[in-house]
Parts: sequence; C-alpha cells; structure tokens
Amino acid sequence: MTEAGIPPSSRAAGIPAAPSSRATRALVVDDERLNREVIVANLRVAGYETVTAVDGQDAWETLDADPHGFDVILLDRRMPRMDGMALLGKLKADERLRAIPVIMQTAYASSEDVADGIRAGVFYYLAKPLDRRLLLSVTAAAIEEHQRFLRLSDDLAKRATVLYLLDDGTFRYRTLEEATALAVALARACPRSTHLAIGLSEILTNAVEHGNLGITYEEKTRLLTDRRWRKEIDARLDAPEHRDKYVTVRFQRLPGETRITVRDEGRGFDWRSFVDLDLSRAFSTHGRGIAMARKLSFDQLEYQDPGNEVTCVIRDKTGAADGPHQLPQSSSAWSSSPPPQPPGHVSVSEMRTSNEEDNASDLHIARQMQEELLPPPHELAAMRRAYGVDISGYLETSSTLGGDLWGMAPFDDHRFALWLADFSGHGVTAALNTFRLHALIKNMPEGREQPSRYLADINQRLTGLLPTGQYATMLYGLIDLRDEIFTYAAAAAPHPLIITPGCDIQTGNGSGLPLGIRRTAAYEERRLHLPRGATLFMASDALSECPATDGSRLGNAGIAAMTARVANEHGCGLDVQTLLAPFLATVRRPLGDDLTALCCVRN
Amino acid sequence: MKYEILDTDAGPVLTLRDQLTFSCRERFETIIDKLMVRHSPVITLDLSGLEYMDSAGLGMLLTLRDRAEQNNQEIRLRNPSPEVGELLTLACFDTLFTIERV
Repeated sequence: MTEAGIPPSSRAAGIPAAPSSRATRALVVDDERLNREVIVANLRVAGYETVTAVDGQDAWETLDADPHGFDVILLDRRMPRMDGMALLGKLKADERLRAIPVIMQTAYASSEDVADGIRAGVFYYLAKPLDRRLLLSVTAAAIEEHQRFLRLSDDLAKRATVLYLLDDGTFRYRTLEEATALAVALARACPRSTHLAIGLSEILTNAVEHGNLGITYEEKTRLLTDRRWRKEIDARLDAPEHRDKYVTVRFQRLPGETRITVRDEGRGFDWRSFVDLDLSRAFSTHGRGIAMARKLSFDQLEYQDPGNEVTCVIRDKTGAADGPHQLPQSSSAWSSSPPPQPPGHVSVSEMRTSNEEDNASDLHIARQMQEELLPPPHELAAMRRAYGVDISGYLETSSTLGGDLWGMAPFDDHRFALWLADFSGHGVTAALNTFRLHALIKNMPEGREQPSRYLADINQRLTGLLPTGQYATMLYGLIDLRDEIFTYAAAAAPHPLIITPGCDIQTGNGSGLPLGIRRTAAYEERRLHLPRGATLFMASDALSECPATDGSRLGNAGIAAMTARVANEHGCGLDVQTLLAPFLATVRRPLGDDLTALCCVRN
Repeated sequence: MKYEILDTDAGPVLTLRDQLTFSCRERFETIIDKLMVRHSPVITLDLSGLEYMDSAGLGMLLTLRDRAEQNNQEIRLRNPSPEVGELLTLACFDTLFTIERV
C-alpha cells in the first residue's frame, strides 16, 4: 500500500485518484444555490470534478443513471421533495450505490442530525458554515476509505481460498502492509468476506498504529494535517523501542461463530469512546474506523481492558448454538473447547442493521457451514496425540455445495470410529442431507462400538427422512488399535482398502443396501486386519466414477492398481493427498460428483 | 442413454443401452411415466446393453421401483453387464429387485 492508500501520482495534490482513469468526481447535493457554489468552487480548485443536484430526487436520478460515476457524495440534510435521509435510505438499499461514501453537511449544533446519520450509515460530517480546509480533508478521507474498500474487495476476489480450511491459527505481524494482507486473507476464511475485510483491516491496522507504535488520536490528527503520517509510521517501526513489537492474531472457528482476537504490545487505549462514533469525532478526518468496523463488519467487538486486546465476533448467519452445524461433541480425547471468558470482559452489543444483509452470500455461508461439519485440523491433531494415528481427509465438491461427509469419533483409549457417507445427487438437496446425517450421528452416541448395529440404526432413522430416489452410501467402522482390527459395516460403499506394511493391497467389502431405502435393512459386520504401519483408505464413488480428461474411469480395479503404484513409490504410510495425486492430476474438472477420501495411518 | 420399450405377452420390456448417469434423470422420468400407464403387473428392464451406470442411475432404478410399487407392479432386471452387475451387487439390489440372468 502506498501512503495511506493514496496512489503516488496524486499524492502531491492530496486528492485520491478515482478507481478508473477518469478524474475523481463528487456529487454535491444541496437545495441552496450559494452552498452548492461554495462547495463546487472549493472542490474544483482542489482538482475534483463536480456534478450538482438540487434535491434528493435530482441526486437519485443522476446516480441511478451513472452508478459508477461518483467517488463521493456531499449531502445536505434538509431539502424539498426528497431530503437527505430519504436519499440515504435509497442509496443504502441499492447494491450499486451503497458503498459510495456520503458526507453529510449539517449545522454543527445539530447532534440529532449526526445521530440519525450514523444510524443510516454515514460516517463523515461537515459542519455548516463550511470550513474550506475541513471540506477538503474530510472529502479526501472519505474517498480514500472508499478506495481502500474497493482495493480490499479486489484483493479478496483474487485471493485463493484455502484459508477457509483454517479452523484455529495464530498469526504474528508487524507492519501495515502485513496487517492489510492478513485482513484480506482472514476475511476469506469467514462468511461475508467483503464487509469483513474492511473491518478487519481497520482493527489490524489500529493494532500497529495506535497499539504497538503508540500514536494517539491527537497525534494522528496533527500528522495527517501535516502529511507526515506515513513517514512517522515508518520511522517508529524502525525505532529500537518498537522494532521487536508484534501483533498477535488468533483465529478460531467455533460452533456458530468465528472469533478473531487481536492483541498488540501497546499500553491500550480508552476504547469505550471509540466503539460508537461519538459526536465530537463525527466532524474529524479520522477516528471513526472502529465504529465503522463494528457497524459494517462484525456482530460483536469485545475489548479487554486496558484496550490492547480485542475480539471480533462473526456469527454464522443461521447461528443457533445448537444448530446442526455444530462440531462433533467433544470427549476426553479432544483438545478443543471454547476459550474461557476472561474476567473483566466487556461486550458491546449487536448493532447490525438490515442494509448490510447480503443475501448473495447465502450459498457461501451454506458452504462454510458444510465445511464446518468436517473434522478440523486440531481434532486430527488430537487423534494423533490420543491414538498415534495420522488421519487425513480430502473433499472436493462438484458444485458449491456437496453431498459427502466424513467424520470420526473417539470411543475409548484404544478404539475410535471413522466413517464416510455419500448422498445421491449433489447440490443443495444432497447438502441438506449431509446436515441431517451429521445431526443424526451427533445425537446417536449409543452403540458406536458395533458397526453393523450402528449402521442399521442410522438407516432406520434416515429412512423416511429421505425423499424417494434419494439415498446414501456409507462406510462406518471402528478401529481397534489393541487387536489391530478394523471392524466395519457398509451400505453400498466403495470397498475399503488396507495398504499393508509390505505394500500389499487388501480389499474389503463395501456392499450393503444403501441407506434410506428400507427401514428394516440389516448390515453385515466385516473385519480387516490393520497392523501397525498400515494405511486404511476409503473414498466415495466419485473416485471410481469420475472420468479422466481422456474419458477413462478408474473403476474398482483401477483404484487398487493406483493405490499399489503409489504405495510402491512412497511407502505404505500414505496421506490422502499423496494417494490421490495421480487421480487428481488427470481427472476432468469440474468433477461430475463430490469426491471424499480419507487415509488413516497407524504409526 | 438409448432406450426402447417393447410390449410383450409378459409385459413391457425396457431396453437400456450405453450409459445411465446423472444427466439422464429427466429422460428417465418420462420413461417411468410411459411404463406406468401400461399397468402391467411385471416390468422388465433389459440391461444387457447398458455398459455403465453410476450412483445416480441406482437412484433412478429406486424411483422406478417406488412408482411401480405404488401401482402394485414388479420390476425385474435382466442380464446386467458385468460392470453394472458389480454396482447392483455392491448396493445389494438383489434384495430389492428380481435379477434375472438368462
């Protein structure tokens, strides 16, 4: 990022450039000709293009005709026909226009106007009569903020999406550039990423600027006025007393919500006066970031005294805590638990408004929720600690939502369950079924040690839940480390494979009536020898069915042959990525069906 | 997928050829409708020319079976190819359908 987000070319003039090649353009809305002329004259001198409108209706027609033509709107509140507040309502309800920053002109004394404006999503205010210098600095600040938002959105769109796999992670950073990059990356790991990026970027930047570097609000005002802000940041980052200071960020995906905790090494600050945009700062060029972040991005901001630690809470949209997307219930083998609330914890209540609802991201949220059904990395790590097994899973869906699911559950000190299910069809219908199954299994703690009975139980409960023509295939098994046995039952699942320490492939038997067809179906209990060093492999039928780019399909024989080949090359202790690599390299994409596979290696 | 329906003394025989996969769903629905209106107690599917069927194909057979059951009709599967037979065995469809090998 260049100086405070201002492109170098326009830095000298102090005017942020428009996103396209055109000049930066302001829409000036005021019913009084003299006011319009004063503003227009000042903005023109400073190098802005201006367009005027005489009231809200006039402004609306101008914006509607050219929604991408403006970088900022200067808005008077009291006007005939359509007043400022009515226009604001229309702007905020319009996807094309809602991000354009609005600067509200208001009589200085009218705190009521400001309060109304804040509620409507206006973060910039100009007092009447106009102060020329303030007009220019507030306008520049508003445009800059907007362009940062556009850049972040652009970054978001370009960023690869692997971070959505992140469940729990800690990050350390030091500079403003790192803060922005991390904000974008973490936003990608959450639902509603566009709004989050701007808020996270604000919080992460604050931690450097006001936290580690100790720049106060008053100092920043002075630095911005003197255009020394960026220089000062760089100087302080280099100073011996700040050089080793880092900001620590912890990302935690929990049932129903995501928590991002940011801790800096500064002395803290009086956060209480910043969580709401207070009236004294409504007319300033800065100091509104936290309030904006809170209002636009997060469901909750929780500051810990003295103010050098803040937790941003993003709730899953449907986020009932007991919803079907909860992670598997913990037992003694799990290490995960929600973080304890520290004493002195203060919570700022929910302030989201309806105009930030983003229906377009529903599918994205659904996918997010579906990913949360899968065992997260920290649970896999817990399995390694508890049982000495390396479990790795792979899931690639054929559309945004998938119909596959796998899971695991500790049973006792030497036994745990592993299962993989595949609902017929794909897309939303199949995805809904994965939630059904997940909820079912979560509520069926009994009988896990007896795979045939357990599978019959699941079948019984699924039958009747699933519409005609929909069914599931499933492999459910219990690994007994003491007896070195994998006991399993199957419902039309692809055969499980064991890669022995001698690199032989043993094929199990996945046959059985699919789930959800006949309530009284019985399932056979089968066994495979699972010695130390062996790998257990199971996959959904996409592995045998999805054609390669040359049209060929692996089939069961092909899977066994590929597995043998990979084992000969890499040894018998395989992770799922290595095992699937030859298939993934040649399969035709997008996949015709959801692919799930998992490996469990006994060390 | 190619298909033909031949009406015989023993009821309609639906012959399926090539592949029965996810993309055939809608056409298979219309085939089911055509079979249902014949009100024959037995419907036979000749699968000898069906080279490949995926899991979605299994779902279509289940839908056919459900509709037939509602009309007191029986579905018989005849002479599945080795590939299709393997899938039918995996899904234990011999417990749902009569599978004839003649």
